[in-house]
Amino acid sequence: MEFEVQDNQANNSIQGVINLQPQVNQVQAQQQEIPIKQTDLQVSSTLEESVAVTLLRDLRQIGVKLRCVLVPTMSSNNAKELRNWDLWGPLVFCLMLALTLSMSGNNDDGPGIFATIFVLIWVGSFVVTLNAQLLGGKVSFFQSVCVLGYCVFPINLGALFTLFFSFFYLKMFLVIGCFLWSTYSAVGFMKLLIPEQKRILALYPVILFYLFLSWFALIV
Amino acid sequence: MQNFGSNNELDEKGHVLNEQPKIKVKFEPKPKPSKCPICTIEYYQQFFNIEQRDVYMRIRCSILSWKPEFHQCVGKNPDLWGPLWISTTIIFILFAGGNLSRFLLEEDKKHFKYEYNYMYVAVLIVYAMAFIIPIILGVIMKYILKSELGVFDIVCMYGYSLSAYIFVLILCIIPYNEAQWFFLMCGLANSTIFLLVNLWDFMKKNKQTVLIAIPIISFNVALILCFKFYFFRLIYAVDD
Repeated sequence: MEFEVQDNQANNSIQGVINLQPQVNQVQAQQQEIPIKQTDLQVSSTLEESVAVTLLRDLRQIGVKLRCVLVPTMSSNNAKELRNWDLWGPLVFCLMLALTLSMSGNNDDGPGIFATIFVLIWVGSFVVTLNAQLLGGKVSFFQSVCVLGYCVFPINLGALFTLFFSFFYLKMFLVIGCFLWSTYSAVGFMKLLIPEQKRILALYPVILFYLFLSWFALIV
Repeated sequence: MQNFGSNNELDEKGHVLNEQPKIKVKFEPKPKPSKCPICTIEYYQQFFNIEQRDVYMRIRCSILSWKPEFHQCVGKNPDLWGPLWISTTIIFILFAGGNLSRFLLEEDKKHFKYEYNYMYVAVLIVYAMAFIIPIILGVIMKYILKSELGVFDIVCMYGYSLSAYIFVLILCIIPYNEAQWFFLMCGLANSTIFLLVNLWDFMKKNKQTVLIAIPIISFNVALILCFKFYFFRLIYAVDD
């Protein structure tokens, strides 16, 4: 393969010509044919399967990612799994938390609390991720929103428990435990992506975010 | 035209003789965005170019407000991290602490009604104080009163001036009138002195620039009146 380059001063661009050997071209085309055919097969098979199978597969993926996020073992498998971000999990947990908290409060406040929690989770994740990116962290936007959403799950559990127990100090103890669990998981993921001198600046908003949510879970 | 690494035969001009499939490639630089530089994320990256150490020094300058060292701390590097997260922390403390203070005072603790409006009002007041007011003041100072300080320098200064309120508002949870007034006055003094001392160089230029002290002091006073009469008002239960 060779290429020729010409500097075009007029419109400040570089023009070039890439020459491909014909034999190389054919071999490459042949090599490319095989993977294309496999993905074609995969695409057609997911289109033909039943809705139940699709949903179960998505639920299984959510479960796998949840385990990766919440049992923070820092293995490379975890990291690979988390790179396949999805927003189904965060949406499910956000809705669950908003519903739980709006049902356990007074009936008048219900819709207000639902809206507040929903907006808080999404806007909060967005702002925390933006903050990490602006500080120079090498974090992909949706991957970070995905992890922050998955780490809301312990607070979900805490909110569900507070529905059943009425003894205040037990509720406080449970919610504090869930807050620490959420924060530890999220911090474990995010601190790997931020340079050392800016770590606290990126992690403090994460702590504040889960503190807000835990406070809601405690008081409602 | 330059040929790189070619094994083929070339004619006199250096063109390749064999007929081969060619792909014409043109690399053009991205067109520079002309419309709205302030709307892009890249513009704001320059304001997050700080480290933990810098933030700690700036908060320390703000707490020790009588020393005019803030401009030395900041240098040419105003940041938006401080204003944003200090104001968000204050919103959380107002929301949680305001209701906690009412709860401690409430006699009928089983039927305590939590006020969620505190959050919406806190967001409005605190973000207005931390961003909208300094932007307006900064624009007036830079374009009308011809100051050397930029708009974002003023935003940064206002943001860090609120850092004293973090400690003050936590202490205001104590449900005693006199204690709350005392702490709020300390916070007001700290915050106002910080702003005036660091703007003194600008204010002493002429009679017009001294007048900038009036809106600064009045907005700060309005802020603590809001804190006291909305978030930490002490309503004693009246027997009907």
